[in-house]
Amino acid sequence: MRYVKALLFIGIVAGFLVPSVLCAQSAKFRIGCELPLTGVFGKDGNLVKDAYTFWADTINATGGINVKGKKYPVEIVFFDDKSDKAESAKLVERMATVEKVDLILGGFGSDSVFAATPISEKYKYPMISGGASSNKLFERGFKYYFSTLGKATEEVRGCVEIATILNPKPKTAAIIGADVLFSALACEGYRSYLKKAGIEEVYWELFPISLDDYNSMMFKVKAKNPDMVLVGSHLKVALSVMKSLKEVDFAPKLVAFSYGPTVPDFVKSLGKDAEYVVAAAEWAPNMPYKDAVFGTAKQLNDNYFKRFQRYPDYVEVASIGGALVQQWCIEKLGLVPPLKEADRVKLMEELHNGDWNTVYGRIKFGADGANVDHPPIAVQVQNGKLTTVFPKDAAEQPVMYPAKPWKERK
Amino acid sequence: MSLFVQALVTGLLMGGVYAAYSSGFSLIFGVMNIVNIFHGELIMIGAFSTYWMFSLYNIDPFLALPVSIVSVGVIGYIVQRVLINRVVEAPPMISYLCTFGVHLILSNLALLLWSADFRTVTTSYSGVGFGVGPITIPIARLVTFLIAIATTYGLYLFLEKARFGKAIRAASQDKEMARLLGIDIKKVYALTFGLGAAITGLAGGLLSTYFVIYPQMGLPYTIIAFCVVVLGGMGYIPGALLGGLLLGILQSLTATYLNSGLSVAITFILLFIILIAKPQGIVGKGIVE
Repeated sequence: MRYVKALLFIGIVAGFLVPSVLCAQSAKFRIGCELPLTGVFGKDGNLVKDAYTFWADTINATGGINVKGKKYPVEIVFFDDKSDKAESAKLVERMATVEKVDLILGGFGSDSVFAATPISEKYKYPMISGGASSNKLFERGFKYYFSTLGKATEEVRGCVEIATILNPKPKTAAIIGADVLFSALACEGYRSYLKKAGIEEVYWELFPISLDDYNSMMFKVKAKNPDMVLVGSHLKVALSVMKSLKEVDFAPKLVAFSYGPTVPDFVKSLGKDAEYVVAAAEWAPNMPYKDAVFGTAKQLNDNYFKRFQRYPDYVEVASIGGALVQQWCIEKLGLVPPLKEADRVKLMEELHNGDWNTVYGRIKFGADGANVDHPPIAVQVQNGKLTTVFPKDAAEQPVMYPAKPWKERK
Repeated sequence: MSLFVQALVTGLLMGGVYAAYSSGFSLIFGVMNIVNIFHGELIMIGAFSTYWMFSLYNIDPFLALPVSIVSVGVIGYIVQRVLINRVVEAPPMISYLCTFGVHLILSNLALLLWSADFRTVTTSYSGVGFGVGPITIPIARLVTFLIAIATTYGLYLFLEKARFGKAIRAASQDKEMARLLGIDIKKVYALTFGLGAAITGLAGGLLSTYFVIYPQMGLPYTIIAFCVVVLGGMGYIPGALLGGLLLGILQSLTATYLNSGLSVAITFILLFIILIAKPQGIVGKGIVE
């Protein structure tokens, strides 16, 4: 009987202890992330997915997020919003209420993120995005939304300011762009910087993103014969514009895009037709950025290539930067999973207070959640590679300008 | 003036593209009364066939067109034989659901196989054109335009003159009588679907040389094909050419003189007007039931 009692006691104690031990062993940060993995922004969304995966793999390789000497691995659960902003909002609601994830990583695309952030704000989930930067995202007084990118209107500054180092200086410019939040605002940005640069705007048009045939519009642009064509774009728009420019046989002296050409598929798809193209960027591997987790910008670039057989786009590095500063805040605050609402409030406050130097560059969020410090970089496709050409002190090569007419290109 | 002529030419060439990928839709509707919602996926598969031939084996897109024609034709034939034949005489809603299901399966299968990447076929002559005075004519679009005319005319002749073409017409006009006369209706339907799909695959292969292609590109093409066919007359083969050209020109003029946003809207405005005012299409030969 005595043995039976002893065994019963051991059983009860074990019954209480074993789950807690297992629980402690399996404690991890469960992180939700909804992205456009299919649809019109499918390619861009998959890039951001790769970026978050790269961050998670790097952290997990060291054991996980280090909280007071103890390592907690991270697990990211991805959801596909199908490039549909209504779906984005639904998925964030699901992550907060059904999946009850510890953290949420920011999505891609201003329209999607614009729809999703009221939900993350409601449930007090900090959301840092490296792929959404429309000004309107920062004009709502939200406390839980952050962006490692600069505001869309400022992101294209380098594409216009590059005119200051060109000879002969461009005198006229046409602005065209897809009529969605990010690219429309990028066009507004072009417009304001053109005014400052004293370059005449001779054409302006926003078109639906569903537009298939760009030729009619491009013939109108060609009729104005601008020195520069500035495009508010995502990847598909950028590819379509380049195809159309060639079809209508118009080679402006400089053509620049707000987004698209930095995605590796752009050069891969267009081959030599991508030469001379300029694009806005917020990061380049030759920039003097570094941190303790990813090393220098060049090391990150090389390691990324080893992992995915391609180099990262700046949006991917901006996404990594966001995930990284969130990780540092958790470590600093000593937060352990499962995170409660009070923990997420502290996290939000810490994100507002912090100032970090990362492999993506300096990250310091303003009161509105936008990254306050980001240099206006412009890159150009030269011999099939993206080359930093602006600002002058960061340039790897001088800008190839003016672009040759299509018929003279080999 | 030159901008106006350029807009007309651009519209005409775009109309050729519309006609090229809408005639198969019209044929299938005309014979089987099926609104094929996975029509756009047939275009997508045709485009990807050309793309893969070009990127994997470096085969010129125009030389790869037979692959697009055959692969999409075979897919069309099999899907018809296995699925559509079972619902071809059911109420229209059943065939909508069936073809919508195939649309979902094909687009998601393509997504799984080929990822969401945007792809383009860029050859040494991509985007190359020639000038007639101040007017620029892109060669690939001109070729599409000429092929659209040839396809429509060829299809018309085939249905009018060839023995099997007459069997198709007989099946579309009175299937019970055709059955009594010994025509194998199921075979006619499957071959018609295969033929319509093959023409669509050809169009997909052609447009891959100047449009961006991706697995989920299909549905917008189905919508445009529907508009083109309603405009020209549902089931009336030359109507696809007329509807395509009319839509192309109207869109181009709208984009040139108003804006590109309205050029997209004009498609649906036109569809609305035609369905109310002239449901048989602009020449009044379409099927209305």
